[in-house]
Amino acid sequence: MTTRRGIQGFRQGIGALMAACVLLGPGLALSQSAAGGKIPRQANGKPDLSGIWQTTSAADFDLEAHIGRKDAPPGLGIVEGGSIPYTSAALAKKQKNFENRLTADPRLKCWTLGTPRGIYYPEPFEILQRPQDVTVVFEFGDTVRTIHTDGTLHPVDTDHEFWLGDSRGHWEGDTLVVDVRDFNDQTWLSRAGDWHDEALHIVERWKLIDANTIDYQATIEDPNVYSKPWNIEVFLYRHREKDFQLIENYCYTLDYDQYYPYPKS
Amino acid sequence: MNTTTHRHTHRHMIATISLPALAATLGSLIALAQTPPATTPTAAPRVGGGGIFLEKSFPAIESGPWSGKRTSDGQPDVEGDWSNTIGNHNNFTDPQGGIPGDPTARNRTLGPRDQRAPSRVSDPADGQIPYQPWARAKQQELAAGLWNAVKPEYIEPHDRCAPGGVPKIFTHTGWEIRQYPGKVLFLFDSSWRLIYLDNPKHLPENLKLWNGDSRGHWEGNTLVVDVSNDNAKARFARTADFASENVHVVERYIFSPDGKRYNYVATFTDPTVYTRPFTVTIPNKRWTLDDPRNGWHYQAREANNPGGPRIADHYERICVENNGGFGQVAITANQQN
Repeated sequence: MTTRRGIQGFRQGIGALMAACVLLGPGLALSQSAAGGKIPRQANGKPDLSGIWQTTSAADFDLEAHIGRKDAPPGLGIVEGGSIPYTSAALAKKQKNFENRLTADPRLKCWTLGTPRGIYYPEPFEILQRPQDVTVVFEFGDTVRTIHTDGTLHPVDTDHEFWLGDSRGHWEGDTLVVDVRDFNDQTWLSRAGDWHDEALHIVERWKLIDANTIDYQATIEDPNVYSKPWNIEVFLYRHREKDFQLIENYCYTLDYDQYYPYPKS
Repeated sequence: MNTTTHRHTHRHMIATISLPALAATLGSLIALAQTPPATTPTAAPRVGGGGIFLEKSFPAIESGPWSGKRTSDGQPDVEGDWSNTIGNHNNFTDPQGGIPGDPTARNRTLGPRDQRAPSRVSDPADGQIPYQPWARAKQQELAAGLWNAVKPEYIEPHDRCAPGGVPKIFTHTGWEIRQYPGKVLFLFDSSWRLIYLDNPKHLPENLKLWNGDSRGHWEGNTLVVDVSNDNAKARFARTADFASENVHVVERYIFSPDGKRYNYVATFTDPTVYTRPFTVTIPNKRWTLDDPRNGWHYQAREANNPGGPRIADHYERICVENNGGFGQVAITANQQN
């Protein structure tokens, strides 16, 4: 309760500051912005990630820096250090995937994008947050991912081979740190054919840097595919358009929904 | 329950319910180009087995004030795991009567109708959907086609991992309710519904969706949801009951004072298909870790929480048939046609 009162007091203080900014004009607003602004918080004081988010990056087209091509806009890449440290054998497979990307990308079948690809895929997702979990609902394929924040551990048996991995998170200060493991090998990390196998292990760090921006970082390791762990970082922006919402997109039905016009006489 | 069992549950659904239709379809389609394969199913489906039919009658629950626990934003707190108590999606109006025309049903006699759960159609009193004549004929054709799926549309879309749609999603496996300020989230095996409590404005009329567009509000112990924008591609059951894109549904989820049950009472209005509005009633119960394991109604398992409280946990809800090739198999077969 002390924390909660403290947070509420903090929020009231910021509210008073904002009111002062409005009264005193735009000059002070700049200094508030420079101070980082405030972030939304839940009743328990934890940062509130609720909302609809989307990247503006070209990460899904290619995680590494690339010039424009017919199937991708250019991008600076989101891999720390520039390139993914594939083993030589794994790099050959990535290159083969790249050559076949226009037909082999699991995205084209609307299969579950997986983790972390769903986060930087260029289609919105919604976060719904309770103290015990953070639910991530992806528009693409209407996939639902639960990040457990109730202190529970990964399942003891670890051969489930999930599409999204098993996600257990905890708060380190204002950063949600999520350990994700127990994957299958069916997902790609990008349209460029970046891949992993069942040994994939991801540690995500989600942090609100202002009310409308999440700094998303992830460390990706898979000793069968990469020579060392590697990091990505991408910003996610809040959708603030009036009445914006996810629109159902069970795109894996598109190959057969033509057979189901509603019956007519 | 571990995920192996979870996946077996999905496969169980294929093997026991979907396989005859799939086998028949594949057989029919492949037969055009190849030697006709055997179409006789090798395994008899366990129609309705495994503790799916929990009760033959159920109590009425009156709408009224809510005195139980509330969420932080003041909603009645109904979070947790739920499932219907009378049957599955085999048969809409005779929930414990099996699939009509099932050539692989086990040798059992159903007995008098009044010894099984009542029709989910609670109004009109005869328990039948008040179809217009053409629509009844179409429903009969589609239902018969389930057993001889010579047309792609005879395969139920839910078998291909399409969302179950309203109201079938409430006769399939159990679901979880999570609540948030201004929102109620339903998580089903192969789809979800987000009920918006804070914005009554439906999506543009031309957007037609498998699970429709849901806008709701609470009236005491009752969650009232207005559903529109239905693409009408989903069927109500294996009996192939259907609506059109014009259907309008008003759902009432009426929760009991102890929070252990709710009755789903929904009015379906669609002048293009029915002669009058009708009411669907589906009874439901809450499931917790204290309940006996039930792979159909309750797929939760106990979380790994050494030294902590028992917590129900769910593995990812991804329709394995779809991702793993069940739907793809059907498409491949169709493309051979």
